[in-house]
Amino acid sequence: MKLSIRLFSFTLIAALLVLLAACGSDNDKTESKDQTITSTDTSKTVDKASTQADAPKETTAQVKDKIVTIGIVNSPPTLNQINDQGDSASKTVLALINDALLDINTSFEFLPKLADSVETSDNHTYVVKLNSNAKWNDGQPFTTADVKFTLLTALNPKVESSFRLNFIEGTNDAGKLEEGQSELTGLKIVDEHTFEVKTKTAIDPNIFKETFATKVYFIPEHILKDVAPDQLATNAYFQKPEVTIGAFKFADFKKDQYTEVVRNDNYYRPVAKLDKIYVKVLPATNLIAQLQTGDIQMNSLPVGLIPITDYEKVKALTNVTVDSSGPSEPAELFFNNKTINNVKVRQAIAYAINRQLIVDQLFKGQADVIDGSVPSDNPYYNKDIKLFTYDPDKAKALLKEAGWDRSQTLRFLVPAGNKIREQASDIIVQNLKDVGFKVDIQKFDFSTLIQKVDKAEYDLTIFNRDYYIEPSNYFSLFKSDNANNFIFYNNPKADELIAQGSTEADPSKRHDIYNELQQILHDDLPTLSIYSEKRLQAVSNLVVGGKPLNLGTFNNVNEWDLKTN
Amino acid sequence: MLPYLIRRLVISVPVLLGISIISFVIMKLAPGNPVDMLIDPNTPPELLQAKKEMLGLNSPFAVQYWRWLSGLLHGQLGYSFSSYAPVAHIIGERIGPTILLAFTALLTGLLISIPLGIASAIRHNTAFDHTMTGFAFVGLSIPPFFLGLGLIYLFTLKVHWLPTGGMSTLGEAGGFGDTIRHLILPAAVLAVGIVGKKIRYIRASMLDVLGQEYLRTARAKGVRESFVIYKHAFRNALLPILTVFGTEIPVLLGGSILVEQIFQWPGIGQLTMQSILSRDYPTLMALNLVAAIVVMISNLLTDILYSIADPRIQYR
Repeated sequence: MKLSIRLFSFTLIAALLVLLAACGSDNDKTESKDQTITSTDTSKTVDKASTQADAPKETTAQVKDKIVTIGIVNSPPTLNQINDQGDSASKTVLALINDALLDINTSFEFLPKLADSVETSDNHTYVVKLNSNAKWNDGQPFTTADVKFTLLTALNPKVESSFRLNFIEGTNDAGKLEEGQSELTGLKIVDEHTFEVKTKTAIDPNIFKETFATKVYFIPEHILKDVAPDQLATNAYFQKPEVTIGAFKFADFKKDQYTEVVRNDNYYRPVAKLDKIYVKVLPATNLIAQLQTGDIQMNSLPVGLIPITDYEKVKALTNVTVDSSGPSEPAELFFNNKTINNVKVRQAIAYAINRQLIVDQLFKGQADVIDGSVPSDNPYYNKDIKLFTYDPDKAKALLKEAGWDRSQTLRFLVPAGNKIREQASDIIVQNLKDVGFKVDIQKFDFSTLIQKVDKAEYDLTIFNRDYYIEPSNYFSLFKSDNANNFIFYNNPKADELIAQGSTEADPSKRHDIYNELQQILHDDLPTLSIYSEKRLQAVSNLVVGGKPLNLGTFNNVNEWDLKTN
Repeated sequence: MLPYLIRRLVISVPVLLGISIISFVIMKLAPGNPVDMLIDPNTPPELLQAKKEMLGLNSPFAVQYWRWLSGLLHGQLGYSFSSYAPVAHIIGERIGPTILLAFTALLTGLLISIPLGIASAIRHNTAFDHTMTGFAFVGLSIPPFFLGLGLIYLFTLKVHWLPTGGMSTLGEAGGFGDTIRHLILPAAVLAVGIVGKKIRYIRASMLDVLGQEYLRTARAKGVRESFVIYKHAFRNALLPILTVFGTEIPVLLGGSILVEQIFQWPGIGQLTMQSILSRDYPTLMALNLVAAIVVMISNLLTDILYSIADPRIQYR
């Protein structure tokens, strides 16, 4: 009997060891390969019979790859370049291995990438000239045939895609082709390197450049041409997208651990100086520790945010340079305009909240206070709007004027997960109570919260929307006929301006339209921004040329380098 | 023994079926769904509808369950709603690390808590005993995330001995030793919790046995004291201890979500958390199934160990 216990524990330990070996086995292979290389080196140095001990060390130092590791907090759910599911982590990794027609820098300037030029004479027909050297990382040329294949595939109603291209002629309102339609009328292939896209109506070239030229990534026709559209998403290619077109190419993906990309030696632009980039998943609380130890060289935005509470700590690191990004998409307080239908009550809420305190205390000053949805560095931000100040007395007066029923409780839904936003929400609740509101704060995971918001079971909620360059994307929420208008805002004048703004092609007229629109939205106050965070960008002093940015982090990733020491 | 095992396995089939139905219902009753999370107002509603249709979310409850079950009977666990990777592949990738972490922690926990628990019982009410119960209490009450962060601070930032997390060093050859180095901290955190809990069980269980008359008889026969303790007393104290360790296995394999998060250990716990947050139904169903199977197997294992520890227990 004693024997069987021993036998049992022995088997258990043995099984454990086998497992351990299996888990490390992938790496064992590479290790043994390295060993063979060094051993041949050693034999050579033995022949020379001089400085035997130092020689192998030197060779390994020369062989050492230039690797940059970027810290990210969430794992990318997908590496599908035509369906990033709106996930910022996926977007980060996809941008390393895919080039779009154009890229963008922090000054909102468009830079040529796959396209040499994107031009229009009438804001209606866009002529795109591709870089004639462009080729996939397997050496196949990239041509307008790939563009056509990508568009027809992504717009196929059986294919799920994150492209939002319903402004192109030939697509329906959902931005898809009709069932059975095999051509896109708005796409004209001129020659191998030139194509034209016709839009339904004239649009601002910036809309085309942002939503089409910087957001559409391409899939290789020569790899995927025989895959049935409804089988595409589960095709093995999208689990390991080895053939793409970018400065780096896919090497390995371990969900919740890392994505590994290696230099694309077939790049049509100057080949990258780094050998490898890892995008490594780690908890936000470990970002600083790993920056300090050199396990990661930079954080990533917006999904690798260093907690602002660590501001002093990260500033004190000597091997890392820290900057603040431009103002990012604000945390917005959304009103249910049906239940809080009196604008005076909404204004009272705006006066009641001490946003400066939130910025000073929670963000140590690293945030902007704005009222509208558009961040203050957007070219279309209306600087003339007078911001709401913290004025509890005025709030009380407005409430009295509005005849607010003090027994009514506001349901305030807060998504759990973003600590600092939760803390800000607690301050908001306190502020609202101080002027006489009854507030019931409820914290939910995002999925639950959205369902409640969709069913209008809320009075107030707070979250961040996406970051856009193109201003019309911020305003579509306020359209009264938008099915996703969960705040139930309805103002015919605003509808009119939103419609005008998205079709107006003359920038100065567009400025006028959006200035007026922002003023109306400020007066009606369907939403109120609480803060627009300036995110911490930390980058190791060893990295040359690279930095985490809100926008276009990787536009020059092929020029990034590492100092050697 | 064999007929008993077969009977147990046969019974487990309807039980698993029941569990799968219950978890499917609960999952569907939970608010939210994978499509509505795309709140971006620039997404046309037709697209959301199309996606729901594509994922089969518009069909009635029973149809959806039947689709899942018939897939399972054909050996198909389906595709993840978020990555579109085969679920079997996703879980296969994760289960190894979790088993490795769980059993390392369990084994370490056993090896530490059993001798300490026994020693504590033998010398009970001495300074040693009080120290041990004190330690056990601390181990039990210290939150894993706190201990984890503390260990990272100490062993990584201060003395640079061990990595902060993950399972292999990025950009290096890795291998057996590298995995062990990554394993030490998370396993230690889990083991501390186990030791804290188990020392007290073992001590109590031993104390029960130590007063028994057969021990006095054994001593009277002139049996060596170590033999009395380890052969006569411990064997009898083993049954309740086995029960507690048996229940510990599913807890560990269900994924120590916190510890896996802190150390970025790529196991089942992290996967479960994310699948819940993104309402990835196919992955969640498969995870539930795995968890149910693990519970059943560890219960069975405990029962078998009973009969090894105490031959009077016979299964027919």
